Amino acid sequence: MSSRFWTQGGSDSEEEESDYEDEVETGGAEAANETAGSRYLKGMASDSDDSDGQKRVVRSAKDKRFEEMIATVDQMKNAMKINDWVSLQESFDKINKQLEKVMRVTESVKVPSLYIKALVMLEDFLNQALSNKEAKKKMSSSNAKALNSMKQKLKKNNKQYEDLINKCRENPESEEEKDEDEETEEDEDEESEFEEDIVEGSDADEEEEEEEADDVNDKGWEKKLSKKDKLIDKQFKNPGEITWETVNKKFKEVVAARGRKGTGRFEQVEQLTFLTKVAKTPAQKLEILFSVISAQFDVNPGLSGHMPINVWKKCVQNMLIVLDILTQYHNIAVNDIIEPDENETQKPADYNGTIRVWGNLVAFVEKIDTEFFKSLQSIDPHTREYVERLRDEPMLSVLAQDVQDYLERVGEFKAAAKVALRRVELIYYKPQEVYDAMRKLVDQVGDGDEKAGEEESRGPSAFIVVPEVVPRKPTFPENSRTMMDILVSLIYKYGDERTKARAMLCDIYHHALLDEFSTARDLLLMSHLQDNVQQMDVLSQILFNRAMAQLGLCAFRVGLVAEAHSCLSELYSGGRVKELLAQGVSQSRYHEKTPEQERLERRRQMPYHMHINLELLEAVHLICAMLLEVPNMAANIHDAKRKVISKTFRRLLEVSERQTFTGPPENVRDHVMAATRALTKGDFQKAFDVINSLDVWKLLRNRESVLEMLKAQIKEEALRTYLFTYSLSYDSISLDQLTKMFDLSEAQTHSIVSKMMINEELHASWDQPTQCIVFHEIEHSRLQTLAFQLVEKLSILAESNERAIEARIGGGGLDLRRRDNQDYAAAAGKWQDNSTYTLGRQGTTRSGYAGSGRTLALGQPGGYTRDRSGQLRGASGYSGGQRNSAARGSQMDSSARMVSLNKGVR
Amino acid sequence: MANSMARSFLQVAATEEVATPLRVVQIEGLVVLKIIKHCKEFSPALVTGQLLGLDVGSVLEVTNCFPFPIQEEDEEIEADGANYQLDMMRCLREVNVDNNTVGWYQSTLLGCFQTVELIETFMNYQENIRRCVCIIYDPSRSNQGALALKALKLSDSFMDLYRNNNFTGEKLREKNLSWVDIFEEIPIKVSNSALVSAFMTELEADTPVTQCDYDRLRLSSGPFLARNVEFLIECMDDLSAEQQKFQYYYRNLTRQQAQQQAWLQKRRDENKARKAAGEEPLPEEDPANPIFKPIPEPSRLESFLVTNRIANYCNQINGVSGQSFNRLYLMKALHDN
Repeated sequence: MSSRFWTQGGSDSEEEESDYEDEVETGGAEAANETAGSRYLKGMASDSDDSDGQKRVVRSAKDKRFEEMIATVDQMKNAMKINDWVSLQESFDKINKQLEKVMRVTESVKVPSLYIKALVMLEDFLNQALSNKEAKKKMSSSNAKALNSMKQKLKKNNKQYEDLINKCRENPESEEEKDEDEETEEDEDEESEFEEDIVEGSDADEEEEEEEADDVNDKGWEKKLSKKDKLIDKQFKNPGEITWETVNKKFKEVVAARGRKGTGRFEQVEQLTFLTKVAKTPAQKLEILFSVISAQFDVNPGLSGHMPINVWKKCVQNMLIVLDILTQYHNIAVNDIIEPDENETQKPADYNGTIRVWGNLVAFVEKIDTEFFKSLQSIDPHTREYVERLRDEPMLSVLAQDVQDYLERVGEFKAAAKVALRRVELIYYKPQEVYDAMRKLVDQVGDGDEKAGEEESRGPSAFIVVPEVVPRKPTFPENSRTMMDILVSLIYKYGDERTKARAMLCDIYHHALLDEFSTARDLLLMSHLQDNVQQMDVLSQILFNRAMAQLGLCAFRVGLVAEAHSCLSELYSGGRVKELLAQGVSQSRYHEKTPEQERLERRRQMPYHMHINLELLEAVHLICAMLLEVPNMAANIHDAKRKVISKTFRRLLEVSERQTFTGPPENVRDHVMAATRALTKGDFQKAFDVINSLDVWKLLRNRESVLEMLKAQIKEEALRTYLFTYSLSYDSISLDQLTKMFDLSEAQTHSIVSKMMINEELHASWDQPTQCIVFHEIEHSRLQTLAFQLVEKLSILAESNERAIEARIGGGGLDLRRRDNQDYAAAAGKWQDNSTYTLGRQGTTRSGYAGSGRTLALGQPGGYTRDRSGQLRGASGYSGGQRNSAARGSQMDSSARMVSLNKGVR
Repeated sequence: MANSMARSFLQVAATEEVATPLRVVQIEGLVVLKIIKHCKEFSPALVTGQLLGLDVGSVLEVTNCFPFPIQEEDEEIEADGANYQLDMMRCLREVNVDNNTVGWYQSTLLGCFQTVELIETFMNYQENIRRCVCIIYDPSRSNQGALALKALKLSDSFMDLYRNNNFTGEKLREKNLSWVDIFEEIPIKVSNSALVSAFMTELEADTPVTQCDYDRLRLSSGPFLARNVEFLIECMDDLSAEQQKFQYYYRNLTRQQAQQQAWLQKRRDENKARKAAGEEPLPEEDPANPIFKPIPEPSRLESFLVTNRIANYCNQINGVSGQSFNRLYLMKALHDN
């Protein structure tokens, strides 16, 4: 018998279906019972009897076992009579054990009918006992306990045999005899029943045992009901009799059953789908279709799982039909605000005036989109399934496009903007290549789809036949940017705050993707998204982080190292990149997450194809940090802690320096650290070679040019580092020498060195006739260094004083992100005039004197705080000159505080 | 009648005593020398000693003193120190010397004396004797050519606060107490017996320039300044730490307030619902709830003391650099000549 090998049942529906059919035909009810039983047995209770089949036992043993079983059943009956649950429970355990033996002895997979009968009896008795509350109260405690545990056990147990039990219930007297009748019915029911089974199976996986078990108990009833329904449906088959009323009545009936215990979700979809075919007026069809769609959404109950994919596809098809209807019959209006008249849908298609139907297209589209997203989240990205699933995306885009078109036509621009956002979110992360690939896919899929459509339309023709009015193929403009522009401008015009913000972020992301750094940056700065991203929802914050990451990558690609670093450093400051980008759950040692949080986080994850490559991101971040930090460290060799550009980088460097032996670099960090070591010595060639050997570069589109840029940057920084480190050893050095050492052009070297002199980083001067740099010896006395230190401390103190005042009058501090953004924004002005100053350096030089100007502007902060700050400032004698430049940077905050933003005072 | 007179006299005396504040500390020349000797010999270790004398009206006369042995951080030895003090007092009484404690003296290094310990000691003394001073001597400063002797006492308002151990911002504002008001410096007057004065005049040489006066002309002030700046840096660190403490407190407070607000809002909504349902409203305060437990405010004492120290260093730097400038100008003038 093939049944033995059905252990994998439940996954591949079609195959099994056919097998099942075979079974029914050949073996009759007997066999059907057998197979069904075995299937569940194997599904649930592992494959215990697989191996047992080999045993050979004498015939008499079988009889013996049966006798034992009968005896136990008698015992159970007795126990029932005296309402003794304790002994009943014992007998139940006993009978289960015996069953195992019997099965082994009989070598069959068939569960004896005796056992099933006992189960049925037990279940009835249990239900009876449960319903009798009075008696339950009177029970002794041990008895009541036994009753409860019995209830649980029985539920679990019966689930395995539910089919058999149901059959037994239907034909309690003789199940053997019913086979002929069953067969015909079975064929019809098969499909729905089968789907039910799938649902059952998947539900069981979701460990919602309690609830499911209840369902199981009701199964018998429900199935009868469903059969009755079928009969009613059969009535409909007589086309002449069908009126609007009958359909409506039936529709109400089905809808009323929704969400009730024991209503098969698939079944409901089936019934409603059937009803759509017999609907009398387009409006009615529409109404029923809406219900079909929501019923399809209901198919998957939990929040965690996703909708089955075939259901999802059907759902999309249904939505398209909805749109067909809406396009064809202009007088139908869909609305979810007003409760329409009971008989609104009765109005025929040529009704003069609007017919209002309750429904919300946008919500449906959003839900479909969300389900698509969820399915991608939960499918393993390395399987073919994932790719297949991704191919469904055009379906979604066409639906969104159609809905948007429709909404625009009826003038609901606000809703259209929402749908447009969904479309934007489908394409914003796609670089042009991927976009082109998708367009190609759409062309290919288009042909296949038509065929599928034909297949669908088989079967009884519906009353209201709607031609496919809306396009089934999405139209994509040549360029993804064009598409983004169209959609985004619509959103900016009509969308609400959140939609606009999200669209803006997508827009920024997309610009950054296309290497348009300045556009993306301007968008970011002008929109002031950074100011209030803290108040946005988590998903938008994730999007913001993604946009920032992409912006950083973009800045790097176009060669703006400092900008790239300032975009990325924040992401890496907490070591939670994965979490911030929603690309995986990061475990933190110190903070245990509750399962609730974990689930939430999992639900936020980005699907794999939307990921920003973390290795590339890390490489870019660390390289940027290296380029900024190495010369910085060389410049401040005396007090290394003074100016830290990238804390993360410093930490990594410390760790790598602590190692006794350094092996060849393996991961991104090792590579960058190796490059750093080379760069500190001024060995640019080695540094570049190490970085060049990273794998991640192949992910870049314009790899050559980026590496070229990188090389130039490394050369420059190597030169700077070299000068910082070894300038003390030189009295003078010729330009020629430097040019040769660092393989730079004379002009470049000259400009770099001059820049350093101007910034007072290098105490030297040019000797033009000999083309030499003459270094000046400058050494601070102890008192001077101390004075410098003191100034440093004072500025820190003044800054924190500033914050204290802010806290006092403002009630809140500033967030780290905000600070950096301010920094970013403040520096933006300088960017315009192509200043050679880099952002990071500006930030650090300025931060020290922040706030002096503000204290004065703030009026009367009152109390002793002011006294002290005044005194300190007086002592330092420092603040005056820097005030103006610090006006904006004053909101910087060196500690990473998480305090609510209070904007009242600003 | 006489009885009442006597009582009123007593009263008068009592009120008078309370009314006259301490104006001058009058120290015997011998005592000054003894203090200087003790402090200088042990420098840079810090030493202390007892001051003995008389409390006369608004003048506190210090007529004698004796040093304490250097204390080690050990309880037993501390007890020994107390015993030593008592023994010493007894012996002095036996030889009929003034043995009324009026305070103590201690040496310091560049004026880093404003500590919590000093305040605690002062409070201890204050419990036993009504009038007491602390004389601070700084041997390192005396090297600069100045007699760095200072008599200090705690201000009354500060002592009040300290007794209640209440240094929250609110209280300080209420008392209008700022960091300058913690210590009061009392002018010192050195008095000698007529015989000693006469002898000194006799001794005074005809040439006023003596060996020790060359110290005043020493030009190098760098090391001294550097040390002062070092100490200043330390103070800044301390102050930053204090500030951080306060910020932390403030952050907690804001968070707590937000929580309270949220809770209150919730409770109000609940009450509204209850009211609508015709039920009794719940009280709007729930002392059992941990979010209503007040967070203790950090004491400002330490930061006050740090500020005092800073002021001290600043004054010193100011003074020294002022003098240095004078000397430098002098030198310049000499060179020009």
